[in-house]
This record gives sequence, C-alpha cells and structure tokens, in this order.
Amino acid sequence: QKSVSGKVSDSKGEGVPGASISVKGTTAGTISDAEGNYKINVPNAGGTLVISSIGYKTVEITLGNQTTVDVTLEDDAASLDEVVVTGYSVDKRRESTGAISTVKTRDLTTVPSASVEQQLQGRVAGLTVVTTSQPGSGSQIRVRGFGAFGGNAPLMIVDGFPVGDVNYLNPEDIESTTVLKDASAASIYGARAANGVIVYTTKKGKKNAKKLNVTYDGVFGFTDPGQGQKMMNPQDQAEWTWTALRNSGAPLTHPQYGSGATPIIPDYLKVGNRSGVVGTIDIEAERAKYNITGPTIGDYYQVIKANKAGTDWYKELTQTGTIQRHSLGFEGGGDASRFFVGLSLQDQQGILASQRAKRIAMRVNTEFDLFKNVRIGENIQLTFLQILGRQGGNNGLQSSQDENDILGAFRSPTIIPVRDEFGGWAGTTALGFGQGSNPVANQQAGKLNKNYNALASGNFYIEVDPIKDLTLRSSIGGTFNNFYGWGYGRPIYETLENKSVVWSYNESGGFRLGWTFTNTATYKKKFGAHGIDLLVGQEALNTGFGKDMRADGRAPFSGDPNYITISTLDIRNPATSVKDNGITFNSYFGRAIYSFKDRYIITGVIRRDGSSRFGQNNRYGVFPAVSAAWRLSDESFMKGLAWVTDLKVRGGYGTMGNSNNVAPANQFNLYEQNVGTSGYDINGTNGGIVGGFRQSRIGNPNAKWETSITKNIGIDGSFLKGKLDVILDLWQKDTKDLLYTLPITQTVGSATAPSVNVGTMVNKGIDIQVITRGKFGAEVGYEFDVTGSFLDNKITQIGGGLTYLLDVNPGFRGVNPIRNQLGYSLSSFYGYQVVGLFQTQEEVNEALKPTATPGAAIPTQTGAGLGRFRYADLNGDGTITADDRTYLGSPVAKFTGGLNFRLTYKNFDLLAYFYTSIGNKIYNISKRFTDFYPLFAGSAISERVKDSWTPENRDTNIPRFEQNDGFSTGSQSSSFYVEDGSYLRFQNLSIGYNFPTTLANKMKLSRLRVHAAVNNLLTVTKYGGLDPQVAGAADTNFGVDLGNFPMTRQVTFGLNVGF
Amino acid sequence: DSFLEVPPTGTLSKDQLTGLPGLEGSLIAAYAQLSALSQTHSGPSNWLIGSIRGGDANKGTDPGDGTEMIPIQRYEYVSTDQVAGNVYASYFDGVARANSVLSLLKEAQASVKDADKARISAEARFIRAHFYFQLKRNFNMVPYVDENIGVGNGIEKVKNDTDLWPKIEADFKAAYDVLPETSSSVGRANKWAAASYLAKTYLYQKKYAEAKALFDLIIANGKTTGGRKYALLPKYSDLYRVANDNNSESIFAVQATVKSGSGNNANGDLQLNFIQGVDPGTCCGFFQPSFEFVNSFRTDANGLPLLDNSYNAPANAVKTDMGIKSDQPFTLDAGPLDPRLDHSIGRRGIPFLDWGPHTGASMIRNQPNGGPYSPKKYIFTKAEKAAGLTETGGWGHQTYNAYNVTIIRFADVLLMAAEAEIEVGSLAKALEYTNMVRGRATNASDFVMLNGAPAANYKIGLYSSFPTKEYARAAVRFERRIELGMEGYRFYDLVRWGEDVEAINRYLKYDQVLLPGALGGAVYTANKALFPLPQSQIDLIGKDILKQNPGY
Repeated sequence: QKSVSGKVSDSKGEGVPGASISVKGTTAGTISDAEGNYKINVPNAGGTLVISSIGYKTVEITLGNQTTVDVTLEDDAASLDEVVVTGYSVDKRRESTGAISTVKTRDLTTVPSASVEQQLQGRVAGLTVVTTSQPGSGSQIRVRGFGAFGGNAPLMIVDGFPVGDVNYLNPEDIESTTVLKDASAASIYGARAANGVIVYTTKKGKKNAKKLNVTYDGVFGFTDPGQGQKMMNPQDQAEWTWTALRNSGAPLTHPQYGSGATPIIPDYLKVGNRSGVVGTIDIEAERAKYNITGPTIGDYYQVIKANKAGTDWYKELTQTGTIQRHSLGFEGGGDASRFFVGLSLQDQQGILASQRAKRIAMRVNTEFDLFKNVRIGENIQLTFLQILGRQGGNNGLQSSQDENDILGAFRSPTIIPVRDEFGGWAGTTALGFGQGSNPVANQQAGKLNKNYNALASGNFYIEVDPIKDLTLRSSIGGTFNNFYGWGYGRPIYETLENKSVVWSYNESGGFRLGWTFTNTATYKKKFGAHGIDLLVGQEALNTGFGKDMRADGRAPFSGDPNYITISTLDIRNPATSVKDNGITFNSYFGRAIYSFKDRYIITGVIRRDGSSRFGQNNRYGVFPAVSAAWRLSDESFMKGLAWVTDLKVRGGYGTMGNSNNVAPANQFNLYEQNVGTSGYDINGTNGGIVGGFRQSRIGNPNAKWETSITKNIGIDGSFLKGKLDVILDLWQKDTKDLLYTLPITQTVGSATAPSVNVGTMVNKGIDIQVITRGKFGAEVGYEFDVTGSFLDNKITQIGGGLTYLLDVNPGFRGVNPIRNQLGYSLSSFYGYQVVGLFQTQEEVNEALKPTATPGAAIPTQTGAGLGRFRYADLNGDGTITADDRTYLGSPVAKFTGGLNFRLTYKNFDLLAYFYTSIGNKIYNISKRFTDFYPLFAGSAISERVKDSWTPENRDTNIPRFEQNDGFSTGSQSSSFYVEDGSYLRFQNLSIGYNFPTTLANKMKLSRLRVHAAVNNLLTVTKYGGLDPQVAGAADTNFGVDLGNFPMTRQVTFGLNVGF
Repeated sequence: DSFLEVPPTGTLSKDQLTGLPGLEGSLIAAYAQLSALSQTHSGPSNWLIGSIRGGDANKGTDPGDGTEMIPIQRYEYVSTDQVAGNVYASYFDGVARANSVLSLLKEAQASVKDADKARISAEARFIRAHFYFQLKRNFNMVPYVDENIGVGNGIEKVKNDTDLWPKIEADFKAAYDVLPETSSSVGRANKWAAASYLAKTYLYQKKYAEAKALFDLIIANGKTTGGRKYALLPKYSDLYRVANDNNSESIFAVQATVKSGSGNNANGDLQLNFIQGVDPGTCCGFFQPSFEFVNSFRTDANGLPLLDNSYNAPANAVKTDMGIKSDQPFTLDAGPLDPRLDHSIGRRGIPFLDWGPHTGASMIRNQPNGGPYSPKKYIFTKAEKAAGLTETGGWGHQTYNAYNVTIIRFADVLLMAAEAEIEVGSLAKALEYTNMVRGRATNASDFVMLNGAPAANYKIGLYSSFPTKEYARAAVRFERRIELGMEGYRFYDLVRWGEDVEAINRYLKYDQVLLPGALGGAVYTANKALFPLPQSQIDLIGKDILKQNPGY
C-alpha cells in the first residue's frame, strides 16, 4: 500500500471541504478537511479514486504512480455552467441571453407518474402544470401564462423533432429537459413557439466509454384513496328531507320515508315495484321473482334492503392503487460509436377499478462516426401504450367538470347498499333518491373497455463537418401511431332514469403518420476575444395524416364479452370514418450570436414560417427576436465584490407566433353531408333517410398568425463561491391578432363561423429560482432549490365590440359560472355577489316589493325568502337583475412555486418537495348537488347542510334547506360556490441509501441504492372540496369542480442498480 | 407553394352542389331542420313553448332536471335564458338552409331544368315561410334575411324593423302557385299544404275573408302529397299511431324515422316526455298535463264542454290521485268526461295505451313537483315498440320513435275555417265544421276500454246550434283546446285571441295551489306573449340594430 494525498478544489480554486474520497473496489475511504485536503491509503498498483461531493459532479481518477492527486470538481446543479439543449443547438447557459430553465432527470423520476410532464409542476419558474390523479391523465401545461383563447400548449420537442404528446417517454430515458420561455430563447421555433418550448433529449451514451454501463431502476408503490366528503347518514338524511319539506310548506310524504310528522326509515327500499317497505318479507318468495336481465323493463324485479348503517360510497368506489416502473438502461460506446438502449415497463392502477395506464417501451439511440467528420445516428422508440378508464374530455382534464363516478359517490344516498339482496346492483331504481347511477357498477363494467396504441417514433440524422467549426445536419423524423379500442355499455337497470335494457358496444381504430424534415448548418468560432455562433436552417413537417373508423350498435343476443363483436349486434349503426390530411408547416430560420470576451453577448434570431392552416394571403409569418447579456462580474469595478462569483444581466425582445387555435379548414367555405344534421325521411318510409347537404363552415381566407411580443429582463447570478445561485426574470408577453371564432349573427344559420384575428391579451410575471447549497458541519450536505412564479393574465381585447367571449358559457344544471371577459383572466368566474342571507321577514318583504327604489338598502329581488341568498345590487338601481352579475374570481393562480430540499448525510439522502399554488379560486359546483335539496331530490346530502340557516342558526352562509330552486337559491351562479383554491402540498418526502461503493462492488455492482418515498403527504388548504387541484375542459373553461379526481397519498419503494 | 395547400376532408364545396342532385340534397337539408335536430326547446311539437306555455301542462319531472325550462312554465323568462336563445337559433337555421337552397339555385348549372328549379324554389320558400311564421309568433320582430344577403354582404346589419307577415304570405303564396298536388315523396310540401299554411297566416292577421275563401277551396279540393283527399280519420286515437303517418288528415308533418343512424331523424324533441323509470320509454317524466287542462274535459249532461269555465269548480273538478301512493286505493272520477281526455292524458287507473293501466304515482317521477298526470299523445305503444318503430335515445332508453309530428292537420283546418266563418261567413257552417270534429270523437269504438267497458264515464255530444257569434267563438275556441291539446297550439291560440292573460292566470291560479313548489307565485303578464330577443344577439349585433321586445 502507499499513501496518496492532494487537494479537492472547486472551479474557482477554493478548497472543497467534506468531499468523499474512496478507492474503487475497496473499503478504503476518507473525507477532505476544511481546506479540501485529504490523504488516503491505496493499493500499490493501479486503482481508481472516486471523489464526490454534493453539488459537484463525481470524478473518477485512475491512479498511476503519482502520490499527489489534486482534483477540481465541476459544479453539478441547475446552475450557470450547465449545458442547455435547445433542440437545434447545444449552448452553455453561461453564454445564453434568453430565459431558459432546465429540469434534472432526478426530479422527473422522483414521483412515478404516467406522463413525465406532470413532474414539471413546481420545478420550473414560469411554468404551471394542472393535472388530475387519473392514470394517464393529460396536463394543462402553460409556459408564462395563457397567450391565447385556446391552443396554449407549449411546443414539445423530443430529440429535435416536434411531438404532440410526451406520454410515451420513459423518464429514466431522459437526459435533459430544457424549457425555453421567452422570445429570444424560443424564437428559433418561431411560429410555433409563442407558448414556450419544452425540449427533451434522451440518453445517448458516451464515446470511448469502454465499458458497457448497465442500470436498473425500479419503483413500486401504493396509492391510498383517502377519505371522501362527509355525507349524511340514513337517519340524518331522512330527517333533513323532512326539514326541506317542512321549510317549503310541502306535505310530509316521501316514497321511502312514509307520511307523517317523523320520517320512517324503511327496512327495504324496493321490493318489486313497492318502495319504502317496512317490515319483513318472504325472501325466498321474492328470490323466485328476482329478475335483473329483462328482457323488457317491466320484467325487472329487485329487492333492495336499506343499509341503515350507511354506505360509504367513496370507500366502496375506490381501492388501493398500485404503480410499478422498471427500467433497464444500457449505455456505452466505442472509438467511433455510442449507444443507449432503454427498456421500460410502467403499470399504474388507479384508485378506481377501471382506471389503468400501461406503457412498455424500447428506445434505441445510436451514433456512429462514418469518417472523422461525418456522423450518422438515430433515436427510435417503440412504445405500447394503454390508458384505460380515463374519464373526462381534454385527455381527462375535463373530469373535474363532469358528472362522473367521483361525483356519483357523493350523489348516492348512504341508505342505498351497493348491491341488492340477490347480488345485482342497487341504486336509485328505489324511488325517492334522485336519478344517479351506481358508481361502483359503472367502474366494474368499465373494466371491459380496452384500447391499444402502438407508437413508433424517432429520427435519423447525418452530421457533416466539411470544415472545422462548421457542422451541417440533416434529420428526418416521424411518428407512426396505430390505435384501436372498444367499449361496452352495460344494461343499466339499477337507476331511475338511465334504464337501458341491452348492451351497447363500439369499436374504433385508426392511424396517424407525421413527419419532420430538418436541415441545419452551424458555425461556431472564436477569434481572439470575439466569439461567433451562427445557425441557419430549414424545416418542413406534417403533423400527421391518417384515418379513423368507428362502428357501434347494441342489443347482442348475449352479454358475454367474448360473444360481443360488431357482427353479433342485432342493431348496428352505420359505420363512420374520418380522413385527416394533417397540417403542414414550412420554415426557414437563422440565429447569430456574437460575444466579446464572454462579457458582452448579443443574439439575433429570425424565423419565417408558413402553415397550411392559413390561406394564401397570410400563409407566412416572420418572427424576429434580439437579446443581449452583459457579464457584470467580469467588469473591473465588480472585482472588489468577492461575494459575487458570477453576475450576468440579460434582456430580450422579440416576437413569436401561434397557429394552434385555428381549425385547419378555417379558410374554406364548406358543405357537409351528415345523417343526423342534414338527412331527412322525405319519402315517409319510417325506415331511413335521404341524404342532404348543409353549409357547415364559413371560410376566412385572411386569417393570419397570432403574434406574441415578449419582453424579458433577467439576471443570472452566482454568489458566495457558488453557494447561492439566483435566476430572476421579469417578463411581459403581449399577444395580438388572437384568433377567435367571433360569433356571427344567427340569421346566417348554424354553419361554423371562421376564426378571425381580433383579440389581444397580456400576461406578465416574475420568475425566480434560488438555489443554495452547502454543508452543515462536516458531514451534512444540503441543497435548497426554490422556484416561484408570479403571473397576471388579462384579456385586453376581444373584437367585434364584444366584452366577453359569447361562445364559452358552460352550464352545470342551470348554473353558468364562467365568463371570459375584458380586463380579467381567462375562465374567470361570474355571477351574483352574495352579501348574506335574508334574516328577517321584514327584509324579505322589502325585497319582494314589485317597484324598485334606486339605492334601496334591500333591493327588490325575485324569489326572496327567509334564509335565501341576498345578492348585491351593484348598479344601485334598487333591483337585482342580470346587470348585477360580476367578476367573482379567477382560477389562474397568482403565484405558484416549488421548494426542493435535499439533505445528505454519509450515504443517506433525504429529499423533500413542496408545491404551492396561491391566489386561485375554485368554483365548487358539486355543492349544487350535495347542499341543495331540489336538484334530484333525495340524492345524498352533505354534512355541511346541518349548519344551514334556520331561525335558530342565523350566523351561517349556508342557505335554508328547502324545496325551492329559484332565483334566490342555488340555481344562479353566485359567490356562494366560489372558494379559495390556494394550497400548499407536501408532495414528496423520500429517503435514499446509497450502499458504499465497496459493498456494492463486492456484489459485483457499481452502484446500489434503495429509496422509499411518500407522495402527497399533506395538503394545507381552505378548500372544501376533495382536492384543490382542479383542471378543466379548456383554458377558457376550467377551475370548476364537479367530480374532481383527488391527489391522494402514495407510498413508493425503489431500487437503483448499476452493474 | 403546393406543400402548404392541404385540402379539407369529408366536405364539399359550393360548386359541387349546383347540379340537380346537389340542389335536391340541399333542399333535403332544409327539410331536415324541421325536426330542429331533436332540440327539445325548439322542436316541431312545440311541447314546451306552445303547450306548456299555454297551460296544457307543466315541465313536470324533478325540479332539478331541465332547470332551463323552469322560467318558461313560470313565465319568468329573461333575455339571457337558454330556451328563447335556442328557439331563435334553431328557427334561423331553418331560414338559412332555405336561403342556401335559393342561393344555390341562382348558380344552378345549365343542365337543371326550369321545372325542377321552380319546384325546388317553391319548396324552399315554403320551408322558409314556416320558420318565419314560427319566429313571427314567438318574437314578432326579427331581422328579415333572404337569399340575397349573406356574410360580408350586410347580413350583420339587418334591423328587426320589417313586418314579417307580407314576407311569409309571399312565400306561401309562391309555394301555393307552383307546387304540385302530389308527389311520390310524401314528405314534401304540396300545393294544399301551402294553401293551408297561407290560410293560417291570414287567420293570424285576422284577414278572415281571405282565409275563408282559401279554406273553402282546401276543404273542397285539398289532398295530401300522397294523394289522399283531406278527411278526418274515423278514430281520434289513430292520429297518434305510426302506421297512420301521412294519413288523410295530415296536411303537413315532420317526417320521423328510426334506423337512420341518428336520433335526430326521429321525433327526438319529445325524448324527455316518456314515463320515468318504466316502459314506455323510461325517461324522463317531463310535460305533465295540468290539473286545469284535465278539468276542461268535463262535460255537461248533453256531453258539451263547460264553456263558462266552471269546470274548475269543486263540484266539477276531475278527481285526482295527487298525494296518493300507487299501493293505496284510488277510485276513478265517475262524472261525465270528453273521451279525448283519455287519448290525450295518462291518468291513474286508465289503460295507458296497450301498456296496461296507468299506476299513478309510481309512473310519475316527482308527483309533488309535476302532479299526477302523464302525457299520452306522442307515446309509442307496446306493439309499435315490438314492430321496431322505436329507437334508443341519448341516455340509453327507448325514447325515439317514428311518429310524425304534425304541423297542420285537417281538424285544425276545419276549426280555423269555423273561426273564419264566424267572423265573415255563416254560423251554420261554423257549427258544421265544429261538429265534424266533435262527431269523430263520439265514435264509441274509439273509447278507451277497461275490462270490456268504457274506462270512464265518456259523454260527448254535438252542438245543436250556435245561437250567437260570442257563443260560437267560445265553442270553437274550446274545441281547439280539447281537440288539439298537448299538440303545441294552445299558447299561440290564446295570444291571437287576446285571451292569454285571463286564461293563463286562471290556469296558474288553479294549479299553483296544488303544485306550490313548481308554480307558486308565478304570474303571467301580457309582455310574456313574446319571447325576448336573445341577449347574446343584441350584445353581438348592437342595440341600435336589434330592438328588444317591450318589457325585457
């Protein structure tokens, strides 16, 4: 043995204390002292030193004969020396002039989710993510607000080519994730960059790696569905039903609870066609009559016993979810080649029985040097993807607004059991309980539905360096997506309304093929203090052409799923098909960067795009941007400030385009033939139609690109020798020429109006990222990474003299909560301001006066009554009219942020992650179902109602429980439904243990790590619904909670192995 | 460059439609809008805005279902409501489709024969007039647009300052002059349908002389498109059977069909109006006949109606099973009743078509809210269901069927002719027409039977004379109520007679005592005779162009 000593320094030459130094393959190890010096015994011959420290990249040094080894560690963090991959180029953050954020792969893999994009939440300043907990849920990802009335999803680039969705990516395959936020960064993507760009790059392997590097990463976990909302037990519900009847002067009678002063809890809810049966029945005699298979409605015969103990429908509906992900990575390279192969499997079972997401993927990335200056390569992924039971449109995001099974759990009265006496489903077929279906039955039947998606995606490229510093690159990429699925509609016999006696069934399938052809040339050279970096390119693409087919029908002879096909249906609807030619783009772009001594940097970007979405007149748009940076810390006057390690000021101004929010056929006048909308049985046959043609679209050949103008000022600062990094951006994005389907007069008929460029919108905000790292004492390393974003979104012009978007007015059983209006954010809530409840008969009498007195203390109000809502008379005309409706809040968060906290101690590391959303409101429309009696009278009642207004309980904001569903109760959009949606979520706490290298090596492993985590540990919120993260149907229509899928607690265990 | 020229898919351009097949096809699309594409608010049966607004029925079902219809039954509609907006949009879609045909005709290819052009034009004008007629009586003043105006050509600036009656008359007149009497396509409007609608247009304007002259011609010479001479069917109940679509009494009807692949081609505007939870239909218990309407079927010792409205008096009111559960006993009303009651209204103890006796509360979704009665006229029979004439609707229940919804039937024409006779002709002729309609109802072989005997005490007689004009008016008006009940006529009749305020408040006063939850506090005022123009249209086009109706 011999002794080796040396010093561990950072890039500034400062000693790094507490770095761990070990000899690979042995138990020998030590730690550097306060100055960074170390001393260690090593074997006489050979050996490898491994030096690591938190915040730095781990270094391995092969020992020869030397006895002194000084090591300089490179920073390893989202800090300023890192490399940023922008798709067409790879830049150093140090030299960049734009607003760019990166996300570590570690952060993407911490919490397992079906799509990697969900893990961006809180990780990037200026990027907001709203999603649902459904397996395979889509996400509303917005970079720097909402630029337009729709189509605000960022452009996603994988290995250089644009993709529609990244749910096929395995996070373990990803090497880098870069978010381009402002025009100076994103304008290289020009016309499609207005919503920001997220660039993913997958692992490539390393040339000369010599050794094949094999890794296994596995995670396994459980999701606990948690608790539902508190609903009344059977006795309470019966008594409150009586309260509602009494409060309305209605006779005290109910199909279940009998007639009389007190309600009677029946023993049986349904015995044949009798409801509310008290006493015993001859169960065997009833069994003989039992019939849940029809064949016609009159034949059904059920016996449903009252569940006097009360059914916890949420508990019955949900189950423990599971998730597992296994990834194998093979990385390596030779002198003239490198490769990465990733194999992965992910399987997520949701908390509802039918919900499941599965992904099996194989990725092969390779690159070969054909000659010294010619490289060819490919990135290909083959994926099997299956997302089952996802509820709600907009990739599942709309589920929060739907009357789905989650809401079903809160509509079903607790007295109804899940099953009837003989094993069939129980439900509202027992009279007096509203009309909802049995959510458990829905989920069980939903398990029959399947879909299969096979995707092949990737690109081939060639790179040539004809002369030094010049690289020509040509890439052709594509995505082929083949999809097939089928769904069953079960015979529903247990509900009051939805009775359908036969099975229905549908099948559909299709394919899309999209491609992208990109050619670029880059030239990068330093002339003394002058640096030049040039990029020019051309790109042509088709988003995807293909066809879909669908067939459906009903009434198969047997309900056996193995029997049912389209061919075995007795009644078949005509099959339908759709052809899609895709959308084409053709683009030319260039970028020039000039830098002087790395101190002054100026960047210019320009891109010209054409799209088939627009007519000839305005097909092309040109989008330039300029930006500059000044490295203050290199100036002599800053030299004295030792605590400033690096300080750069950036500024940028530029334009970007967007065409997402315009239909591909927008430029055309079109007619359509459609069975339902243009056919007619002109011959009076009662057996079919003659086809007809109606005008379906009015064209606008003059529509053009939406343009957003971005201004950005930022600093990148590194202080205290790299212990503190600060990235701060102030930005504003003004969008003009917003495409909007401006309604046209109804005298034109029902043809779709074209989009026209009319609106404007302003988004502004502040993005902050602060990273601090260091050590507590000698052995505990820490890192705080805080991101925060302030956002203000405002519609500034709609066009056509309109003050709000006429065509976005979603209704929820008569309540219309949303108005997108001038001066407010998208999807703002709108309605009457509740100032209180009517407390006295005098107040009521005053409000019922037919003639209005302007400025009256108690204005005239339709339907006024004791304990009902009193609305604010905002225009002071003495009467409550539609003009008194007002802005009630916005679902757009004013601030979102994440806090990532990492501690290391010896071989342990601890990670805690918090996410917060502040200043957003939620429209809790589910209360319309659970807190008011008349909406489907008899459905379950919330415990909250016990605090409703009575003459004895006046100090409450919950109105009197009564039959009336008038203007002054729950039927109008009012501030009663608007709740504060701010929350702080402890999203992840994980503990990992890295086995000592020596121990790992004994097991013939290079790395061995185990970890355990708890996700969604705790949510602090005042919100009264199930969960405060509420998505929606569209950017103009979200934040309404009707049946939101909650984020619930998850426990995971994981293993990482390097072979 | 051509790379960026991506043609649209699955659609046609205008120049593909100017040959005869394209023109015929666009005319079909105009006919298709007659069914309002299954829209429950604006469908051809007018069950919501004609019958419910007229007091024949209330919305029924659960208060929480179809909440947008509550302002209709309570006469609390305002300009931001959904219903008036849907009605306006749906009718103008029909106008636009007809205009689209007429516009295409202007560019017809040379191969299209003049005779075809003339016929297609006349049919399109008939359809356009039908929709303007609907707009006129619901909104009064709306913008008048024809085929000569379009997008980019001033259509956004058309004011609602033109009286529509002359335009409607001109279109019906043109159709009457040009259309053939018969066609193998029995769903087409023919000469006599145009004549009948034109005469109805005259009657709405109180142009009694013109109306009478035309009614005389129609009654003497009129025939259906299928070639049947206009005549009443022998049995009233046969009017409502699918097998009798396009019968001798069907002057113009919306053709409904199943098996087309879309419920829009069936009479989907009725899809909510079936029995909740059980057959027939299983959904959703809307459109429940009112107590007052049921009472109006009470007859006197001569089998004549109680024209003095004394049918609501406690001694005359029809006995109901309100508040009585299905397993509790109920004895049927024993007093004299017009037999058409039990063809129009489902009530406890009376056979509900061939589905067996109505069981009362258990067939009603929410009796305290909607009362004890069910609609009956558009309900399919067990036999029709077995024959495949029904179809599964949007919620998975069988609520679409192939029964044509009639726009004008011969009984309607006879009673309109009687009105004209009273004003400008002979009371004897009016009596004759009225008794023709009543006479058909006296057909005992059409009485609803139970256990081999008439299910109730049916007593109906003919009028022996019309002593005065006043008496004749009252008799004819009452006859329209009974004969055409639940068929979408009542509200418009009341308004044109100027009886709306009195009659509707009489109904409200009676029914709101029994249905305090649904109707309590509701009052009808004269301005509710018209819908408000949709606020969204005024917001879009401008107050200076679209003038709102008074009182909104």
